Amino acid sequence: MRGLKGDFATPAILAMVLGVAALAASFAAPAMQRVVTEALIYVVIVVGLYSFSGNSGVMSFGHVSFMMVAAYISALLTMPPLKKHALLALPLALERFHLPTVPAGLIASAAAALIALVIGWPVMRLRGVVPSMATFALLIITHVVAQNWKGVTGGRQALVGLPLDTTIWTALICALAAVGIAAWYQQTRRGALLRCTREDEVAAESIGIHIARERMVALAISAFISGMGGVLFAHFLGTLNPNTFYLDTTFLTLAMLVVGGARSLSGAVLGVLIIQAISETFRSLEDGVTVWGIDFTARAGMQEVALALIMLIILVFRPDGLFGGSEIGTVLGNFLRRRSPRPKSTPSS
Amino acid sequence: MNLVQTAIDAINLGAIYALAALGVGLIFSVMNLINFAHGELITAAAFTVYALDGQPVGIRLGAAVVAAVCLALVMERVAFRPLRKANPATLLVTSFAVSYLVQHLVVLIFGARPIGVSLLPELSESAALGELRLPLLEIATIAVTLALLAAMTFFFRRRPLGIQMRAAAEDFTMARLVGIKANRVIAAAFAMSGILAAVLAFYQVAQSGTISYRMGVDLVLVAFVSAVVGGMGSLTGAALGGMLVGMTSVALQTFLPPTWRPYRDAFLFGLFIAFLIGRPQGLVFRKAHRVRI
Amino acid sequence: MSVLLSVDDLHVSYGGIAALKGVSISIDDGELVAIVGPNGAGKSTLLRTIAGLNVPRQGSLLLRGKPIIGLAPERLVADGISLVPEGRHIFGSLTVEENIRLGATTRTGRLAVKTDIERMLSLFPILKARFRQRAGQLSGGEQQMLAIARALMAAPRLLLLDEPSLGLAPLIVDALYETFTELRTGGLTVLVVEQSIRRALRAADRAYVLHTGRIVLSGRSEELRQVDNFDQAYFGAVT
Repeated sequence: MRGLKGDFATPAILAMVLGVAALAASFAAPAMQRVVTEALIYVVIVVGLYSFSGNSGVMSFGHVSFMMVAAYISALLTMPPLKKHALLALPLALERFHLPTVPAGLIASAAAALIALVIGWPVMRLRGVVPSMATFALLIITHVVAQNWKGVTGGRQALVGLPLDTTIWTALICALAAVGIAAWYQQTRRGALLRCTREDEVAAESIGIHIARERMVALAISAFISGMGGVLFAHFLGTLNPNTFYLDTTFLTLAMLVVGGARSLSGAVLGVLIIQAISETFRSLEDGVTVWGIDFTARAGMQEVALALIMLIILVFRPDGLFGGSEIGTVLGNFLRRRSPRPKSTPSS
Repeated sequence: MNLVQTAIDAINLGAIYALAALGVGLIFSVMNLINFAHGELITAAAFTVYALDGQPVGIRLGAAVVAAVCLALVMERVAFRPLRKANPATLLVTSFAVSYLVQHLVVLIFGARPIGVSLLPELSESAALGELRLPLLEIATIAVTLALLAAMTFFFRRRPLGIQMRAAAEDFTMARLVGIKANRVIAAAFAMSGILAAVLAFYQVAQSGTISYRMGVDLVLVAFVSAVVGGMGSLTGAALGGMLVGMTSVALQTFLPPTWRPYRDAFLFGLFIAFLIGRPQGLVFRKAHRVRI
Repeated sequence: MSVLLSVDDLHVSYGGIAALKGVSISIDDGELVAIVGPNGAGKSTLLRTIAGLNVPRQGSLLLRGKPIIGLAPERLVADGISLVPEGRHIFGSLTVEENIRLGATTRTGRLAVKTDIERMLSLFPILKARFRQRAGQLSGGEQQMLAIARALMAAPRLLLLDEPSLGLAPLIVDALYETFTELRTGGLTVLVVEQSIRRALRAADRAYVLHTGRIVLSGRSEELRQVDNFDQAYFGAVT
């Protein structure tokens, strides 16, 4: 817990970085805009993941379930009724019901948060690795249901016709909101209490911290934000199927969190940017690139291998991630303080 | 008659899941590591069997065991030994990364499409016993599993290394303080898990006739569910957990109404969550693994 | 008399907190040396560091003149250091026999090991009665005896004991200390951390008083018994 009290510098700096990225991209080619938009969506997702896992120390594999749930609900609310009629078997009222994307997205995210509370209530009081296993089970259950509930989700078939309302600016606004919420939460007393449980469950409990309750608050916030990310993604792709968000997304977002550092918001955000940059590099390599007259073409699978290797190297040499749990505001603050020496107080014996 | 068939299916799946659970339970008991990459040991063994297509069966099986054991030892040495003192969350994510890495190495080398493999086609026959049809493969699997369990029990009770592993599983630090070599015990655990993974691979290949880079993932998930149900840190528990989960899965498949059968896995994992809430410590509760204050 | 263990200016930290701040002690062959001090003084840390569980930031550890810092605990057992940590830590799911045999993991002579098992069983007859039972079913005192027997099976030159009397009835503790005295005649050197000062000074040749990571007082037991401000030293008034 370093220097988080009243740390406004961190969210401000992160907001600036994201804003500059969006601004720069808006002048670039549409392809680059898509890359940056995607990065901003991942920021939302990973900040959502961080809000829970980073503060509680409980590694979650279930945030993708929240993405899925919110994405499907938003899809159902925003798809043109004719498409719904063609692809699904919904009750008439639901089929006709239509909302613009923004309220649909908010409702969907709230629904994800609600589900998180329902699942979280019995599960979050468990100790050790058990809650993580439960989140994995949740992921599988969501996936199986999505694959088989043909009437509501379309089953293995993709839902199409989602309004493509995710622009670089909507993604930016959501990313800023996510960072803002996460930064606010971790500075509250509740956030601090949760971090106590991360360090030592037994000790925290013995001083009266209600572990399950604190985790649930964080889980609800995390589910809302991740849900928002799922909605953004769905309206970015325009289509949705049960495999859009599953194990690959789980791994990717975990990698982004861990590479930057699972214990700090700055780590989460910067992890996204770094991994996305690496991903992009490999994606363009797969198309073939000529450097100094030599052709480089990456084969299928190379991108994932490189990503996994990088993640492993970071984990082995810096298990706490590149940022090691420090917030960018604190690091900058310490750096500035060292540059301008002030008179020291007399040392006590 | 149908019930006997179902019973054999249940015991067979239980045996499979027991082997899978033992594979991951072994590592967890000595290292507190949840090895997601265990699935890739299975995949490596399966692809070795494929790569040696045409060779005598003994060579194919033997090479597969060697491949799985080698991969397990490499994993341990390169990825997990440096992180031995890290917290469980980091270890979990690391094993996830290793799993992802090996999966996509397989993609790089063999491509992403499923490949057909033939192994021991003789076993796909069924023996007739009166009115019953007993699938040979399932009988063989149950027999091999029993043999392995017996061998492991003997190893852990009578062989010095086995007793050392039991001690290390109970209290790793104290084990070192009596002179048990940490590295040797952990390497042994990984090697054993490699052997178990190879056996699983044989069953998978013989039964389904296909291999793919993703084939380990589903088994690993069930392995962990089984190990957690059985009680992490207990090997008897892992075997029991596997049995229970396997039999439950077959029971669900048999007794669920047809419209609900596609949701079988959802029910299975739902029951798992319920089990976690009701008895999080697992079936075989070892006091030694409770958090010490 | 030659020096068996030489600890010089040892600094050990636990995650940012300094537990030992420059500790120096010396133990000769055949001695029984006690470490006393209030809770949190660093006594357990000292023993654990000698046994190889902690790596000091600074200082040196010499076993018969050979530096041992950085060696793995299991290696140090082979070199002759055996630690019985606080709280017994027997392998509850293994039998008494398995526990005792595990103590001899680093030894090679089968006959010698067999002889030593007999010796342990005659030293601690209760273990003979419970030889094939699960160690977890033993009482506290019996488990402590098992832990010590197991440590002795490694044929150590230096036996480290962390609060062996904790939670045991006084009669049993008396018996334990008698055993230590017996074993010393066979050439064993003992370093014991003791909660009870009285018992420590009665049993030991020499003692060190440790307070917040530093040695504040040391000397032969007879001398320490006479020291006026012993209580003050123990509780930290003297530096």
